[in-house]
Amino acid sequence: MNAIVLPVVLPLLAAFLLPSLARIWSSAARVLGPVLMLVSLCVLWTTWGEHPTPFVVALGGFQPPMGIAFHVDSVAMLFAFLVAGGALLMWPAWTDDDTMPRLAALTLLLVAAATGLALSGDLFNVYVFYELLSVASFGLVSARRTGAAFAAGFRYLVISGFGSVLALLGIALIYLRTGTLNIAHLGQLAPESLADPFGLAAFALLLLGFGVKAELFPVNTWVPEVYAGSSARVAGLLAGVVSKLAVLVVVRMLVVVFPHDETRMLLLILGVVGVLSGELAAWSAKDMRRMLAFSSIGQLGMIFIAFSIPGEAGWVAGLALVLHHLVVKSGLFLIADRWGGALQSLTGAARVSPFTAGLFVLFALSLIGVPPLPGFWAKLQLVIGLVENGNGVYLGALLVFLAATVIEANYLFRLAVAMYAEGASSTVTAPSGGNRIGAAIFAAVLVAAVFLLNPLSEAIDDLAVVGNDATGYMDSLAGGAR
Amino acid sequence: MIPELHVGWVLFAGAIGLIAIGVGGLLMSRDLFRVVLALAITEAGANLLLVLSGYRFDAIAPIVTNEVGGVMVDPVPQAMVLTAIVIGVGVQALALGLVLRIYRAYGSIDVAEVRRRMDDDIAAEAGLPLPSGREKPAVHS
Repeated sequence: MNAIVLPVVLPLLAAFLLPSLARIWSSAARVLGPVLMLVSLCVLWTTWGEHPTPFVVALGGFQPPMGIAFHVDSVAMLFAFLVAGGALLMWPAWTDDDTMPRLAALTLLLVAAATGLALSGDLFNVYVFYELLSVASFGLVSARRTGAAFAAGFRYLVISGFGSVLALLGIALIYLRTGTLNIAHLGQLAPESLADPFGLAAFALLLLGFGVKAELFPVNTWVPEVYAGSSARVAGLLAGVVSKLAVLVVVRMLVVVFPHDETRMLLLILGVVGVLSGELAAWSAKDMRRMLAFSSIGQLGMIFIAFSIPGEAGWVAGLALVLHHLVVKSGLFLIADRWGGALQSLTGAARVSPFTAGLFVLFALSLIGVPPLPGFWAKLQLVIGLVENGNGVYLGALLVFLAATVIEANYLFRLAVAMYAEGASSTVTAPSGGNRIGAAIFAAVLVAAVFLLNPLSEAIDDLAVVGNDATGYMDSLAGGAR
Repeated sequence: MIPELHVGWVLFAGAIGLIAIGVGGLLMSRDLFRVVLALAITEAGANLLLVLSGYRFDAIAPIVTNEVGGVMVDPVPQAMVLTAIVIGVGVQALALGLVLRIYRAYGSIDVAEVRRRMDDDIAAEAGLPLPSGREKPAVHS
């Protein structure tokens, strides 16, 4: 057994103990979650230093492919890191009232399930963690207890439940053909048993099933109402962190089990439609929350386009976009906690809080891709990947991507200009101290990335090699598990 | 003469049929309670397909006994379906809880009505004109 299971197990345990602890000693219950996130970060950090990756952890001592295994490589570690760090910065349960234990327990469940998704090397285990993640997010979305929050939570539940059925069907088809669900083992069997239309159908079902959380077109209709109906921190967690984990699951399956032109084309087309629909809807949105929600559909579409590029170039672009979107969109949702209303009410908001307006402009510039901010570098990687590929469809995707960037620039600049309008007085109040500090931390990460671009790009190159190395993923199985 | 039908094909057809009925229900129901039922039917179909993916009609139950010989059914899909059923029941209970909450908040479980009230509430919170054209959202607890 290995300490790497602790970031999954400890939050699960704490989630069940927390409601009881809150009755006895509520201040301890309030800090328990954030402290656990710090512990998880420490555990991940030391494991990363101690063990050469990739390695496999056999849960319960049963060797894969019979037993269920965690597959730990540097990409999985990175995503586990992002989950713990993102949850720490956007911890939604700092409130004083009686909703605190519930929110904290649900967030801990969300974190445990998301970390499990990053680490798991077994397809059915992925499904179970995905369901756990879903249930925790339904609770978090409805936690504001308004009619709109319940209705949005219910619609989210139905779409997500339908997605789970599709994913389960995909798993059934895969098991029908191969008789295994260990992802590494599937990768070994796939060239013989899943490289046909049957396999493509299984991948399409998995893609649509897990794509619900990844805001993939056409299963993303829940996004605007859920992000508008839930609290800003929950929306930031779902858009910033949870969506990326679903992307990781889909891309893992694509690279290890289904590395075909048809599956990549499917991902590319759905990504392109997502970019177009998301950015156009964001352009016509009238309030900031829904503008951010639609824009994150567009950004996730760009991430899917990036991962559909074969080879390491796709992984470099995809990882860069994932990291960038996580930082920027989380920061923007923290700002939107108080400023999430009608865009018109933000006219002259720079006078209310010059600091927050400055942060908004910084995030917006990076989201559009203005050099020297990291967003420019991330988008540049995508452009390079698409051009180098040279295939006609990818060039078409490049055109759509550039058009989407223009639309994005238009609506974000429009809002930024309005914030600094002369002689107007805004009705909004300045964001709370906690949200301002959180957003400032994300902005600091963004600015630091400008200066650390060289080591950062080398690290992403290394990660891309690991991520794209399907043979390495399969070979880790043969090496035996700890 | 009636052609001989293998029981496996009947079960496969049943699984696909259940999924089709469920999808139809999800798309066409005008009542939130029926939406929950349709989701349950769809899940049942998927579970049936998962059981069938490892089932063998010429085999015995996967229980170790003193009797020697005989091919056993693959137990893994059955264990997975048990998990999936439990998850499904939990999600359905949560869905029913949410339906109850929506009914208390809006006094209706009509899909279109709930949708309109939700859009109105979100717009009102953002300080935008209501999409349904009403003056203000109806009062609710």
